[in-house]
Amino acid sequence: MSEQVLPAVAAPPKRRVAIPPGVALAMLWLLAMVTIALLADVIRPYGITAMDLRSRLQPPVGFGGGWLHPLGTDELGRDVFSRLIESIRMSLMIAFGATIIAAVFGTTMGFLAAHFRGWVEQAVLMLIDFQASMPFLILALSVLAFFGNSLPLFICLMGLYGWERHARISRGLAIAANAQGYAAAVRQLGAKPLRIYLKHVLPNIASTLIVAATLSFPEVVLLESGLSFLGLGVQPPMTSLGNMVGYGREYITRAPWIMLSPCVVIVLTTLSVSILGDWLRDRLDPTLT
Amino acid sequence: MLRFVALRVGRALLTIALVVTFAFVVLRLSGDPALMIMSPDAPPEALAAFRKAWGLDEPIWLQYLRYFTAILQGELGQSFRDGRPALQLVAERIPATLQLTIPALMLKVGLGIPAGIYAALHRNSAIDRAVMTFAVAGFTVPSFVLGLLLVLVFAVQLGWLPSGGQESWRSVILPVISMGLGGAGILARFTRSAMLEVLGQPYIRTASAKGVPWHQVVRKHALPNAAIPTVTIVGFMVGTLMAGAVVVESVFSWPGVGRLMVVAVSNRDLAVVQCILLLVSATMVTSNLIVDLLYGVLDPRLRGTAPAGGGH
Amino acid sequence: MSLLSLEGVSRVYATRRGLFGKPVPVRAVDHVSFSVAPGRTLGIVGESGCGKSTTGRVALGIERPSEGTVTFEGATMPMPGTPEWRRMRARLQLVHQDPLGAMDRRLTVAAQVAEPLEIHGIGDETERRDRVAALLRDVGLRADLAQRHPHELSGGQRQRAVLARALATDPALLVADEPVSALDVSIQAQVINMLTDLQAARGIAMLFISHDLKVVRQVSHEVAVMYLGRIVEQGDPEAIFADPLHPYSRALVSAIPVPGPRRIERIVLSGDPPNPADRPSGCAFHPRCPLAVSACRAEVPQLKMAADGRQVACHLVEAA
Repeated sequence: MSEQVLPAVAAPPKRRVAIPPGVALAMLWLLAMVTIALLADVIRPYGITAMDLRSRLQPPVGFGGGWLHPLGTDELGRDVFSRLIESIRMSLMIAFGATIIAAVFGTTMGFLAAHFRGWVEQAVLMLIDFQASMPFLILALSVLAFFGNSLPLFICLMGLYGWERHARISRGLAIAANAQGYAAAVRQLGAKPLRIYLKHVLPNIASTLIVAATLSFPEVVLLESGLSFLGLGVQPPMTSLGNMVGYGREYITRAPWIMLSPCVVIVLTTLSVSILGDWLRDRLDPTLT
Repeated sequence: MLRFVALRVGRALLTIALVVTFAFVVLRLSGDPALMIMSPDAPPEALAAFRKAWGLDEPIWLQYLRYFTAILQGELGQSFRDGRPALQLVAERIPATLQLTIPALMLKVGLGIPAGIYAALHRNSAIDRAVMTFAVAGFTVPSFVLGLLLVLVFAVQLGWLPSGGQESWRSVILPVISMGLGGAGILARFTRSAMLEVLGQPYIRTASAKGVPWHQVVRKHALPNAAIPTVTIVGFMVGTLMAGAVVVESVFSWPGVGRLMVVAVSNRDLAVVQCILLLVSATMVTSNLIVDLLYGVLDPRLRGTAPAGGGH
Repeated sequence: MSLLSLEGVSRVYATRRGLFGKPVPVRAVDHVSFSVAPGRTLGIVGESGCGKSTTGRVALGIERPSEGTVTFEGATMPMPGTPEWRRMRARLQLVHQDPLGAMDRRLTVAAQVAEPLEIHGIGDETERRDRVAALLRDVGLRADLAQRHPHELSGGQRQRAVLARALATDPALLVADEPVSALDVSIQAQVINMLTDLQAARGIAMLFISHDLKVVRQVSHEVAVMYLGRIVEQGDPEAIFADPLHPYSRALVSAIPVPGPRRIERIVLSGDPPNPADRPSGCAFHPRCPLAVSACRAEVPQLKMAADGRQVACHLVEAA
């Protein structure tokens, strides 16, 4: 560690970080997406179910359409731009919710394994192995088949994706902290386990966990859009990016724009989060894979 | 070596047992099977009779045991839509799925591995950068998006290839590309980093310093060592082919297991879903097992040692 | 009356050789007994691997003894992790060997010194702040360092901060495990002096563990020499340093660099360094002992009272 080599008397000077242009673009795109998601109701020109039967299957601006519907309209004359905004909000909400659930659940499992060791740890490790050795899409489909679909259940189900990554990381780091160092020292001071894990271990490993979350976030976006595309995720009248692609697919010959705009958003968003995640990982924790 | 094989096989069986348990737990959590299969307003006597007939009035552990033994004997229930055995229904669809998944796997391996090796040997060249860009695209473009874009270009605009169905060999091309291209990119990226890691090792420098010709160093020393991590990824891909088939078969209306899965899930045809779940997990576990055993062949150091306890 | 006493304490670990090897019991600490009176210091010396740190951890209650009992303030040490055990932490404290590792790198010095007060619910917000300021002053840290993070301090300053944290709850006993061995020699003396001053002012008992005889002699009222998990000689430090009775103590004392002509010939130990997993029969020291006789191989020597009230475990030393 660099701190031990430095004559550690003064605070190390804060270095300014040069952000590569690709990362800057990715950040801008994500910022735009989050803004759109937060302000969806204000930005959206039309309601997502508002039908304008006189202007059905209008092409977007630049392909013969007008500014009234910048991204065109669908079979029922609904504004694609408005639906896209609403879909971005829905997809991001699901992905954020699911990533947070996975992080909280996984970290808790990791800490439990590290704290109790013994059979608790073995059970957690077995679950981790199980999760890692099954394609999640198939597990998710089975659960949907058995339980049916509702939005809260769907978000929770997506939240089971990627928890094992957080569990592995938090277990490993908590065991290391317990074996020697600050966690052992605080325990020796008489602190209760909850205090040790929440006040000391968690903040110390947070940066690694955040990087892990940026790795699973785009995967959750893809998973959600895939399931919604199959008609098994977000259900109409609600709409999400995958949902729009699935619907637009019916009109691929007559109105490809319905399908193309959500496709572009999916690809650019996952690409941006991956670029940002790679960059964060290189800066914060190069050991993570 | 025998102990090594036994340990791995035991682990594989344990995973299958876990999947069966998972199916049982999810099935029981999802509600009273009697209410789900009969209508909720069925007379109570009929419900009781149904429960008795299916052993639902017995203690839960006994039900679990019965369920487990039934599956061991290959009794996977009947599709409640057309009343045929679920296993038969699924088995009929397997050839169609293999028609897509096997060429897709060949595409992944045949394109991804050579591209990765080439990129590693010509680091920072234009081709290396192209391969890396392609790999990132493989990760971020989902297969259904790729599939639809291919349909849009090659079927709708150019009219060269059919957009779906199973009429001729030409119907296979687009689904295979959408299933395999992304995986080829991911595999290229892994192969490249595995090769670069190996090429940086001291024994490679020693061999080339001794005057061994470079192509021979690559063939004899670098490739076998880089194969170890690559085999893991390929093994994982074999296991996940079925998951990929779910999406791509739906895009191209391909009558395979994946399409069946989607239809069964929409109809809540539980016996069929459960049968496919077990089929996929068996594929996954088998390919993982083969990878583990191949590991033993490729890396003699691992023979005779125990699994490291899920640490990696 | 003693504050802390260990009665026939052993600590056995099971280690595996290889992944499927049979577990081999390793006796890190073997039948150790001693007691520490309030306000007094017992020094424990020995090479690395002699079990002195394990003895410290058992005395502190972090580890359970495999055999024997640990009594603190008249009561048996409770199980680690229980509420009684946690309450008791306020009374016994550890001074770490590696102060940087023992501190949370994200929290300020003040926050970390205040932590034991928060844990044990001592005082309110303002009282804690005053207490922290007083503690930092007592250990000689400038007030402006309170808001620094551990990596912004020097090694000596970090050790002072750790000491301030250990003293926060007014403990009756400090276990100091190699507290200065990570520091420069010039700073070692300052920290040692501060430690003894604070001890005298507050009447704290101390278990001082070190491989460094000079330091142990400086701080201890009594010294125990450990070899492979057992105490081989125990008594007044001046007596042991002037006239070590056990051959191992003699070798250790002879290794201290002294100015001028030596009074004792330098003894260089031969043979393998001690390995607790492979303990020799009889007296564990016999393979390296220049004076070993056949009895040493066969029989474990017990601690016996020697002429001047010291205790020695050696077949060759006459009991008083």
